[in-house]
Amino acid sequence: MKRIVVLGMVLGLSACASSEGQRRVWTPEEPTIVGQPVATPAPSVPARPLPPPGISDAPGQPQRAEDLSGAAVTALMRQARTALDAGAPQQAASALERALRIEPRNPFVWSLLGEAYLAQANYAQADSVAAKSNALAHGNPWVELQNWRTIANARAALGDPSGESAARQRVRELEQWLQDGGGR
Amino acid sequence: MARRKPRTLRIALASTLLVAASVGLVFLSAYLLRLDREIRERFAGARWALPAQVYAAPMEIYTGLELSPTELVHELNRLGYREDPHLAGPGSFVPSRSQIDIHVREFAFWDGPQPAQTLAVRFGGERIASIARIGDGAPVDIFRLDPMLIGSISPSHGEDRVLVRIDEVPQLLIDGLVAVEDRQFYSHFGVSPRAILRAMLANLRAGRVVQGGSTITQQLVKNFFLNNRQTWARKINEAFMALLIERHYDKDEILEAYLNEVHLGQDGSRAVHGFGLGARFYFNKPLAELEPQEIALLVGLIKGPSFYNPRRHAERALARRNLVLEVFLADGLIDEAAYRRALAQPLGVDGGRSGGAERYPAFVDLVKRQLRGQYDEADLTNEGLRIFTTLNPRVQEALERRIVEGLAEIERTRKIKPQTLQAAGVITSADGGEVLALVAGREVRFAGFNRALDAQRPIGSLVKPFVYLTALERPGEFNLYSILPDEPIELRLPHGALWAPRNYDRQLHGPQPLYRALAQSYNLPTVYTGLRVGAEQVLRTIRRAGYEGDAQALPSLFLGAIGMSPLQVAQIYGTLAAGGFQAPLSAIREVQTKDGEPLSRYPIAVRQTLPDGPVYLIGWGMQRVVSEGTGRGVYAALPGHAIVAGKTGTTDDYRDSWFAGFSADRVAVIWVGRDDNQPTGLSGASGALPIWARVMRDIGVRNFDPIPPASVELLRVDRLTGLLADGGCSDTLEIPFMAGWGPQEWAPCAYGGEQSAPLRWLREIFGD
Repeated sequence: MKRIVVLGMVLGLSACASSEGQRRVWTPEEPTIVGQPVATPAPSVPARPLPPPGISDAPGQPQRAEDLSGAAVTALMRQARTALDAGAPQQAASALERALRIEPRNPFVWSLLGEAYLAQANYAQADSVAAKSNALAHGNPWVELQNWRTIANARAALGDPSGESAARQRVRELEQWLQDGGGR
Repeated sequence: MARRKPRTLRIALASTLLVAASVGLVFLSAYLLRLDREIRERFAGARWALPAQVYAAPMEIYTGLELSPTELVHELNRLGYREDPHLAGPGSFVPSRSQIDIHVREFAFWDGPQPAQTLAVRFGGERIASIARIGDGAPVDIFRLDPMLIGSISPSHGEDRVLVRIDEVPQLLIDGLVAVEDRQFYSHFGVSPRAILRAMLANLRAGRVVQGGSTITQQLVKNFFLNNRQTWARKINEAFMALLIERHYDKDEILEAYLNEVHLGQDGSRAVHGFGLGARFYFNKPLAELEPQEIALLVGLIKGPSFYNPRRHAERALARRNLVLEVFLADGLIDEAAYRRALAQPLGVDGGRSGGAERYPAFVDLVKRQLRGQYDEADLTNEGLRIFTTLNPRVQEALERRIVEGLAEIERTRKIKPQTLQAAGVITSADGGEVLALVAGREVRFAGFNRALDAQRPIGSLVKPFVYLTALERPGEFNLYSILPDEPIELRLPHGALWAPRNYDRQLHGPQPLYRALAQSYNLPTVYTGLRVGAEQVLRTIRRAGYEGDAQALPSLFLGAIGMSPLQVAQIYGTLAAGGFQAPLSAIREVQTKDGEPLSRYPIAVRQTLPDGPVYLIGWGMQRVVSEGTGRGVYAALPGHAIVAGKTGTTDDYRDSWFAGFSADRVAVIWVGRDDNQPTGLSGASGALPIWARVMRDIGVRNFDPIPPASVELLRVDRLTGLLADGGCSDTLEIPFMAGWGPQEWAPCAYGGEQSAPLRWLREIFGD
């Protein structure tokens, strides 16, 4: 009995499958068809550029450490930045390690630690720590941009020209994408 | 002639006397010059060999920290802070239900000094809502409590001390010391004839030396330069030296030396010298914070530190203390009211061997080993270095308690002879590789065999994640849903023996998806997988995770025939916890000179040694171990919503019981077994696991929630076929695959690529 009712409904609905009503009715159950643009954007809005691979297209990603971090970590990062600017990278690293003990997966902290290692001429660690930040960045373009700059500089100092140019390429892609309004 | 003779005799006698006197004078001068030089050398240079001081990590207090008022009070008590409604001085606090005011002590941290300050810490529920300076209400984002002194590195039978400057010493201690030990200290010139006369009379009456008329200066000389034998020659030496010291140095310098030199007790083979360490050793706080009755006890101890040992002979010590308090009162150093108050106080000696004593011998052992790579033994025992370590006292306390209680409970419930089980445990920070806690056996205060570092035990099934990780690095051959055979395997080993491994339950379970073979810790699919990828490759994976031993790449490796200490296990599991980034384990953060100059730092170091994708997959598999496999027992202690990853380990005949695993930020490893390597009857799940789970609960577990790397994609598969599933399939599972290497075909149950929605509906209703 129930089946017949359902069948009736189905037949009724499939009858209008080609009409415009179909979408309105079916959308909740049906995933968007892969590879097909859903709707044509209004001509006044420019098309969003596709992000470089691995970069998240989600808008509203935190741009600065303060957008993501707690007050304590923000204070420690400010302290670290001051120390770094004053030419005291060891002090900066020390403050950043304190911050990491509080928020061990904060990509901004790892990113700044990479810069601190660069300033200490510890290039291998600068490269590794920036890679660690990338792994925690959830595809955040701003964090990754800084990290790839650090990585490029570290690889240049390590005498790894091919590694450096790959990193520079990534820097250019990210810069271009952000310039075109990506990530907004 | 008769008259000349005596005269000649007189002249001869006089000359002889003169010569003798001159010669005597020359000798005396030479003798005094020698003493003088000895004294000046001793006073000018480093006066004492100062053992390195070892500190725990300071507690960071900040807005948003999950910490209840009770926990903060516990922490303050551990550091020897006292409750004082007036917050009169550093090291005091006022607790209330939702706020704790603290007068924080100053401390010279590696990155600069933090001055003493009064702060109000306000709580909102179980977390810190805000922190403000009490004076002007200015908000404070973060501050550190002074770190706990947890030990020192002294020679095996050495003296230990914490130096104090005279201006840090409470006036009552100075005045009280003078009143009790040497009333004429400020007026005599090194020796006190009156005191000597009195002592001599007493000694003559007794026929031997029973009383010393020693001044503070003479006592200092005695301790500094001479042995302890009571002979007349030594007494004379002592008197001369005392006179010389007084000529060169003023009273404050002499007193300061005395305050740092005096012997105040014994801690095993370690001699406790000076009031600075005395205050820490007996009362677990800095000298400046001592109260009158505490000062009186220390002053009283000088007469006989072992006779009046307050931990051993409390009544004697109390009587002596009260006698000293009486002297304080009689001399007007304290008033009647203060005297009454002090008298009413208990001895107040900190329980057991603490206050800078070897409270965490196993951890300090690790610190010493790490330092020895960089510092000479003499630097460590003489230079007064300040070593800042990674030890987290809260985590350490939880690990100690759970191991001690856990072993007793297992012995009780499983009718195992008491005190036969042993255990060791390590907890590290997942991303930074800091060793937060280390327990080397159930007698946690006893510096014996360090099982956490030196017990090399086969790790059994703890190796399995590395076998499967090696396989998952070949995405064309293996994924988490690869079906593995669970069939008997017989293998001829290189030396000729036949090896026929079996599952722990001696059963065969039929073909298993890879992740379930891991979760259920089946041996045969593991051996099958290991043989496919090769023992060398598996060993290489373990090495890339941080193992540095010399194990052989034999097939028995697949089932954990590889000896490791709990610390080594923490290292290799840490690399899995941190997404393939290896952080070499460290117990030290920084080293300072005794004057607070930075000497060396042990910075966080990371390196990606394992690929992110396969590590993510194996982490997913290790979550299934606890959600549906042999590690399910963790949820007896952990809340159901907690997400952790781990692995049980059991070795042949139940000789070793292991559990190793991690949350988002903590890696923990527990081993349970016997020192004589006899079977215990305990599997990883029944021995080590409950201890692990309780420790994790105590330290506040953060959910393990790794970020999927770009190389991984999450797909829904049909459990029956392992093929792609969608709404058409009822029994499905979401599994991560290496991107592009997941199943490409739709399962029969799936709508698959069918684009026509109505047709799907029809199929849903009528089936295929």
